[in-house]
Amino acid sequence: MATLLVFKEKLKSFYSKYEVYLVPVLKFVTAMISLLMINKKLGYMAQINSTAVVLIVSLLCSFLPLNIIVVMAAAFSLGHVYSLSWECLVVLLVLYLLLFLLYFRFSPKDTIAVLLTPVCFALKIPVVMPLSMGLVGGPSSVVSVGCGVIVYYVLDFIDRNAPAIHSLDADGTLVRFRYFLDGIMHDRAMIMMVAAFAVTIIVVYIIRRMPVDHCWTIAMITGALMSMVILMVGDLKFHTNISIIGTIVGSIAAVGIVKVLQFFVFNVDYSRTEHIQFEDDEYYYYVKAVPKMSVTIPDKTVTKLDTRKPLQHTGSGNTVHHEVSPQGTAAQAGERIPARSSMPTRPSATKGVQGTTTHKEQQTKKSNTVSGVNRLREHNEK
Amino acid sequence: MLNEERIIMMTRMAAYESGEGKKNGAIGSYFRGDYIGLQVLKSVISATIAYFLVCGIYVLYHFETLLDGIYEMDLWGFARKAANAYIVTVVVYALISYVVYSYKYGKAKKKQKAYMGRLRQLSQLYQLESKNKQS
Repeated sequence: MATLLVFKEKLKSFYSKYEVYLVPVLKFVTAMISLLMINKKLGYMAQINSTAVVLIVSLLCSFLPLNIIVVMAAAFSLGHVYSLSWECLVVLLVLYLLLFLLYFRFSPKDTIAVLLTPVCFALKIPVVMPLSMGLVGGPSSVVSVGCGVIVYYVLDFIDRNAPAIHSLDADGTLVRFRYFLDGIMHDRAMIMMVAAFAVTIIVVYIIRRMPVDHCWTIAMITGALMSMVILMVGDLKFHTNISIIGTIVGSIAAVGIVKVLQFFVFNVDYSRTEHIQFEDDEYYYYVKAVPKMSVTIPDKTVTKLDTRKPLQHTGSGNTVHHEVSPQGTAAQAGERIPARSSMPTRPSATKGVQGTTTHKEQQTKKSNTVSGVNRLREHNEK
Repeated sequence: MLNEERIIMMTRMAAYESGEGKKNGAIGSYFRGDYIGLQVLKSVISATIAYFLVCGIYVLYHFETLLDGIYEMDLWGFARKAANAYIVTVVVYALISYVVYSYKYGKAKKKQKAYMGRLRQLSQLYQLESKNKQS
C-alpha cells in the first residue's frame, strides 16, 4: 500500500510538473480515440474518413477547450450520417440540439460524459460510466450518462440498419424518416440500459455518501451488481438480446477499472502548479506556486548485523539491529546492505533478532503508511 | 522589505481571480433577481426552441395522418393541446432553471464574500506595514 501511495505521489508530482504538456496530450488522445471509433463505426463520408483528417482535428482539439472534442465528435457523426441519408441527419441533429439546449446549459462540465459513454460501450465496458459518475458526480449525472447511452444506440442503429435505410430510397423521405424514428424509439435495449444506468448511478451515489468504511468500494460493487441484475431481468422480461456473459465480464472489469481510477484519479487532488502575476505599489510579483507533496518516499537502509553476538540481544524490545530509516539516514554506523534480499538466512541462530527486527520494521512501515495517509487526508482537506 | 504572509495571501487571491473568480465575479456583478431572471429567460427561449424542434419531428412523423385527417380534425382542440404542452414544458423547465441558478448564485456569492474578506485582511496588512514603516 505504501508503495502505491508513493507511486501516486510521484504521479501527482509528475502531473504538477508537466501539466502544461500532459493536458493537451490527454485531450489529443481522447479526441483521436473518439473520432477513430466514429469513423470505424459509421465511416460513410470519405472526406472525413481518413486518419490524416482525424489527426489534424485531434491536434486542433488538444489546444482548445475540452468541450470542443464533443463538438467535433458530433460534427463527424453528423457528416457520416448526412452521407447516408438526410432524414437520419435531421433526427440526429435534433437530438444533439435537444441535449445542448435542455441539459448542457446547466452543466457544461458533464458534456464529456456523453462522449465517453459511447467510447466505453465500444470498448465493451459500459458499466464504467455509471460507476464513475456515481462516485464523482451526482444524481444529475443520470441525464448526461443517459444522453450518452441514447447517442450510442442511435449511432449503433444507424450502423446496423444502413443497408435497410439505403434500400428504402425508392419509398420516399417520410418512410425512411418513420423507419428511423420507429427503430430508435422502440429500441428496448436502449431503454433498459438507460434505466439500469440511472438506477446504478443513484445507488452508487447514495452508498458513496454513507458514513461507513470502504463506502466507495461497497458502492462500486453494489452498483455493478445492480446494473447486472437489472440488465438480466430486463433481458428475460423484454428480450433485449443483451449478452449475459458480456454483461458479467464487463461489470467485473468495470469494477476493476473504477477501483484503479478511484486510487489514481478520483481521490487525488492533482493540484496544478500555478504561474501567477500580480503587483502592489512597490513590486511586480511573478509567482510560481508549487503544491506541496505529502508522502515522503522511503529510502530503506539496513545496517549489517554483528553476527558474532546475535543471542545476547534476543528479546530486548529496545535493541534494534536492523535500523530502518525512512529518511535514508542510518542510525548506526556500519555497512549498508539491501533490505531483504541479502539478509542473513540463519533462522535458528538469529530467530530472536529477526523477530525483533521484523516487528520493528513492520511498525516503522505501518507508521509510515498511516502518517502518509493522514498527511494525504490533510492535504486533500486543504 | 517583502512581507511573506502578504505575498502568500496575494498569491492565493490571484490564483482564485485567474480561475474560479472570473466566473464568480461575473455572476456576482448581478443582483440576485437580475441574474436568475436573465437565466430563466434564456431557459424559456431554449425550451421554446426545443419544443418546436420536437413538434417538427412529430409533424414529420405523423405527416400523412395529419394531412389525411386535416379536414375532420378539431384544429382548435389540437392547438389548445399543443399550447398546454408548450406551457407545461416551459414552466417546468423554467422552475428547474430557477432552482439551479439560485443555487449557483448563492454558491458564487459565498465565494465572493470569502474573497472580499481576504481583500479586507490584505488591506489591514498594508495598513499595519505602513504604520510600522512610519514608526
